[in-house]
Amino acid sequence: MSNNYFNTLALRDQLEQLGKCRFMHLNEFTEGVDALKGKKIVVIGCGAQGLNQGLNLRDSGLDVSYTLRQAAIDEKRQSWKNASENGFTVGTYQELIPTADVVLNLTPDKQHTAVVTEIMPMMKKDACLSYSHGFNVVEEGMQIRQDLTVIMVAPKCPGSEVRAEYVRGFGVPTLIAVHEDNDPQGQGLALAKAYAVGTGGHKAGVLMSSFIAEVKSDLMGEQTILCGMLQTGSILCFDKMVEKGIDVGYASKLVQYGWEVVTEALKYGGVTNMLDRLSNPDKIKAFDLAEELKDIMRPLYNKHQDDIMDGTFSSGMMADWAEDDVKLLGWRAETAETAFERTPAGEMEISEQEFFDHGILMVAMVKAGVELAFETMTAAGIIADSAYYESLHETPLIANTIARKKLYEMNATISDTAEYGCYLYNHACLPLLQDFMKNIDTDVIGKGTVNDDNGVDNARLIEVNTALRTHPVERIGGILRGHMSDMKAII
Amino acid sequence: MKIQLQQCYFDFEQGFQLQDINWQIETGQHWVITGANGSGKSALVATLAGFGEKIAGSSEGIVEAVALVSFEAQAALIERERKKDDADILDVIAVGTTVHQILAEGDVNASVVKDLVEKFALNYLLDRPFRALSTGETRKVLLIKALASEPQLLLLDEPFDGLDADTLTMLQQYLVKLSHKISIVMVLNRCDEIPDFVTHLGYMREATLAHCVARSDEIAYRELQQLLHLKTSDLQIPPTADSSAKSLLDPDQPLVLLSDICVKYDQLKVLQDFNWRIDAGQHWQLCGPNGSGKTAILSLITGDHPQCYSNDIFVFGFNRGNGESIWQIKQFIGYVSTALQWEYRVGTSLRNVIVSGFYDSIGLYSKATDKQRNIADQWLALLGMQGRADQSFNKLSFGDQRLLLIARAMVKHPPLLILDEPCLGLDDINRQLVLALIEKICAAGLSTVLYVNHHSEDTIAGIENYKNIQKHSSNVD
Repeated sequence: MSNNYFNTLALRDQLEQLGKCRFMHLNEFTEGVDALKGKKIVVIGCGAQGLNQGLNLRDSGLDVSYTLRQAAIDEKRQSWKNASENGFTVGTYQELIPTADVVLNLTPDKQHTAVVTEIMPMMKKDACLSYSHGFNVVEEGMQIRQDLTVIMVAPKCPGSEVRAEYVRGFGVPTLIAVHEDNDPQGQGLALAKAYAVGTGGHKAGVLMSSFIAEVKSDLMGEQTILCGMLQTGSILCFDKMVEKGIDVGYASKLVQYGWEVVTEALKYGGVTNMLDRLSNPDKIKAFDLAEELKDIMRPLYNKHQDDIMDGTFSSGMMADWAEDDVKLLGWRAETAETAFERTPAGEMEISEQEFFDHGILMVAMVKAGVELAFETMTAAGIIADSAYYESLHETPLIANTIARKKLYEMNATISDTAEYGCYLYNHACLPLLQDFMKNIDTDVIGKGTVNDDNGVDNARLIEVNTALRTHPVERIGGILRGHMSDMKAII
Repeated sequence: MKIQLQQCYFDFEQGFQLQDINWQIETGQHWVITGANGSGKSALVATLAGFGEKIAGSSEGIVEAVALVSFEAQAALIERERKKDDADILDVIAVGTTVHQILAEGDVNASVVKDLVEKFALNYLLDRPFRALSTGETRKVLLIKALASEPQLLLLDEPFDGLDADTLTMLQQYLVKLSHKISIVMVLNRCDEIPDFVTHLGYMREATLAHCVARSDEIAYRELQQLLHLKTSDLQIPPTADSSAKSLLDPDQPLVLLSDICVKYDQLKVLQDFNWRIDAGQHWQLCGPNGSGKTAILSLITGDHPQCYSNDIFVFGFNRGNGESIWQIKQFIGYVSTALQWEYRVGTSLRNVIVSGFYDSIGLYSKATDKQRNIADQWLALLGMQGRADQSFNKLSFGDQRLLLIARAMVKHPPLLILDEPCLGLDDINRQLVLALIEKICAAGLSTVLYVNHHSEDTIAGIENYKNIQKHSSNVD
C-alpha cells in the first residue's frame, strides 16, 4: 500500500504548500518555449488531453512523439490511430522513454502508479517528468528518482477545448506547479512555464500552485459544489416539482438548463450578481434559504475536507480501484436510473429570466455550495485564490455539461476521481436535506413567488446586500476576474 | 403605365447585344440603372426610347411620349449640326441652328421652355448657334427640350454629369416635382447621387439586367450600393501597420515548394506524389472536384494539416518540422474559407475582426494599437461599411462576413493570400461583391494570390497560372 506524501510533511510544510497559488502575469512568459526548444518530448497516452496538448506543443515548434503500450500499437487501437494519423512518431516505452528529455504523463489517475513505476527506470538521467494532476505524487506518495525534475501542467478545460482555443490564437487557463522534492537543477519552473506557453495557456492565464494545493483543492471542489451539489440539487429540485404536480417536462428542463443559466451570472459577477438577477423579495428569500442550507451542510463539507486532508478519501477510492471500481460502477448505474435522468426536457420555452425567477432554490443551492466550499477550503489552509478557482470559477463549466446531457454527461466528462467523490457527497447529502425539503414549495422551485408588490424592508435588504458583497469569495473573485478580463478575449 | 420586357434581346451597333432582359416598370416607380462601365446600362435605357433592334422576347406597354437625355443623344444632335455645316456648299461661314431654333423644334410646350430657360439661366445664349455651346451648355439645352416635350416617361442618362452646382440643385428640385406626375428612369454611376424619389435600383452586368431591387428592401438595396461602391469607385488598398512580413523573405526562394506530397487517412490516400512550386508574384488558381484534396493542399501550406510534419514542405524559408511555430508560418499568409467563417463565431466588433488579422487569431486577444484601428477603419470604408465599426460581427449577413474576413486576411499585406472557395455559399450579388474585392486586391499587387474553386467559370482578372488536380482517392495497397 502506498504512503500518503502529504501526511509525511510537518504541519508548517503542509500549510506552506497549501498556501501556494499565484496568478502569473503575461510578462513572466517572455522566454516563450525556449526552455523546451530542441528537447525531446515524449507523451504517454494519446487520449483527448494527450493528443491535443501534443498537437499544440508541436505547432509551437517543439519535438513531440508518443509512446504507447506494445499491445495498443500491435492492435492499432484508437490511441495509436490518434497519434499516427496526425503524423507523430509512435513507439513503445522501451523505444522512446530512454530518448526523452521530458516525459508527459497524460494517462488517467488510476494508471499512474503502474505507468510511472514502469517507465522511471528507463528515463534518462536528469530528465523531466510532467503530470497533469498531482494525485499520484500527493495521495499515493509515488517516490520519484532523485535526479528527475517533476512538474505539473494542468489545462483547466477538456482536451478538445485546449486545441480549439490554441488554433484560435488563444488558450485555456492553466495551472502549473513544481514538485519541490524533485527539482534537482532548479529548472522545474522554467520547464513548466515553457510547457504552458507551448499549449497556449499563458494567453488565458496561468496559476502558479503546488502539487499539494492542486490536489487538495481540486478534490474538495469537484466533490462538493462542482459535481456533488449540482447532482444532489438536480435530483431534489426535480423530485420536489414532480411531487407538487408541475409538468415533468418543464421540471426536467428547468433543472437541466437552469444550472447553466444561473451560473452564467455567477461567472460574470460572482454570487452577488447571481442573486442580483432576482427581485428584491426573491433575493432575500434565496439568501435565507442559502443560510439555512449552509447550516445544514457545513458538517458534510467539513467531513469531505477532513477526509481529503488526512487521506481517508483517497485510500477509500484506491480500495475501490482494487475491487475493479465496484462502488463507482454501482453508483453510476444508480444515477442513470433517477427520475430526473430519465425524463426528457419539455418543448416549452423558458426565458433566461424565468430560470432565475422559478429557480430560487437552485440559486440558493449554488450560493450555499460555493460559499461553503470556499469557506471550508480556506479554513483548511488553502489560499483564497486556489479556493476561488476550485469552487466558483469552475461551477459554470460543470453546469454546462449538465445542460448538454444531464448528469450522465457531467459524470462522463469529469475524471473518475471526481465522479467517485461526487457520488460520496450525493449519498450523504440527500438524506441530510430531507427535512429541509419538506418545507419547500413551488414558490421557490417551479412556479416562482407571486408578489403583489416588490416591497421589502430597507434594513433587511441592506443587511442582505452587505453580506453578499463582503463575503471573502466575492473579494478575491473581484480581483481575479479583473486579471482574467485583462487577458481574456476582448469581446 | 406599365412597361414589361420579357426575355428580350436587343442588337446594337458594333455587335453589342443586350441579353435576356427581364424588366417591369409600373406607374409611380422611378428607377436608377447602374453597373460597371460597358455593362450596357445606357443601352438598356435607350431601348425604352426605341433604340436597338429587338431580335427576341416580348415587350409590352412601350410608351410613345418618351424623352431621352444622354451623352449619345447629345452627340447625335451635335453631329447633326456638324453635318449641316459640312453640307453647306456656299463659301460662307454657316451660322448653324440657334439655340432658340433648337428649342422650338418639335412638339414642345413653349411656356415650359421659357420657364426652364430662365431657371437654367440660358437667356443670354438663345441667339447663339448651338454648335458654339460648351458641353455643359448643350447638355442643358437637351434637358430643357426633353422636359418641355411633356413626356410620360423621362429617360436621363447621367443627367448630373458636368453640371455646375447651382444647376444641379435646380435640376434635382425640378425632378422631384416632376416625379409626382411621370416616371423617371436614370442611368447613374455614383450611388451617392441617387435622388430620394427613386424607388428601384437595377444593376447591369455583362449586357444583362442582373439585379432589380426595390428601395424598400433595405438589405438588398444596401448590398447593391456596396457592390456599386466596389465596382465603380477608385479605391486604394489601405496601408499595413508596420513593414509587411515580406521583408523577412529571400526574394530568390519560392514562397511554397511542395515535393512528393502524400496525405492519407486511415486506409484512404487523398494525395500522392503531388508537387507544386509557387513563386512570389505568380497568382494561381487551383481547381479540382470535391474530394480531390484541394483543402488538404492548402492546409499543408498553412500548417493546419497535422501531416505537414510528415511531408517535404518548404514554406517562406522554413523546412517544416524544424522547430518553427505555426505562428511564424501564419504571419506570411492571409487566409479565407467557408470553414474559417464557420469557426469565426465571435460576438466581437467589425473593427476587431479586421484587426485580428494582424495576429492571425479568431477573436482579438491583444489590445489594438491606434494605427491598427485606423487601418481597420480604412478597410471598412473600402468595403462600404464605414460607420459600422462597432457593430457585432455575428449579426452581419453571410456575405458581409465574407467581405470582412477578406479584409482581415489582407490587413497585414501577406506575401501569400489564400482564398479557398471565397464565393461558396454566397448569392449572386454577394459573389459579385467578393469577386470585385478580390480583383482590387490582385490589381494592387501586394500579395501573391492563390485562388481555389471548383467552378472554372469563376475566374478572376489577373490570375494566369492554373493548377488542376484530379480526384486521386485510392486505397493503400
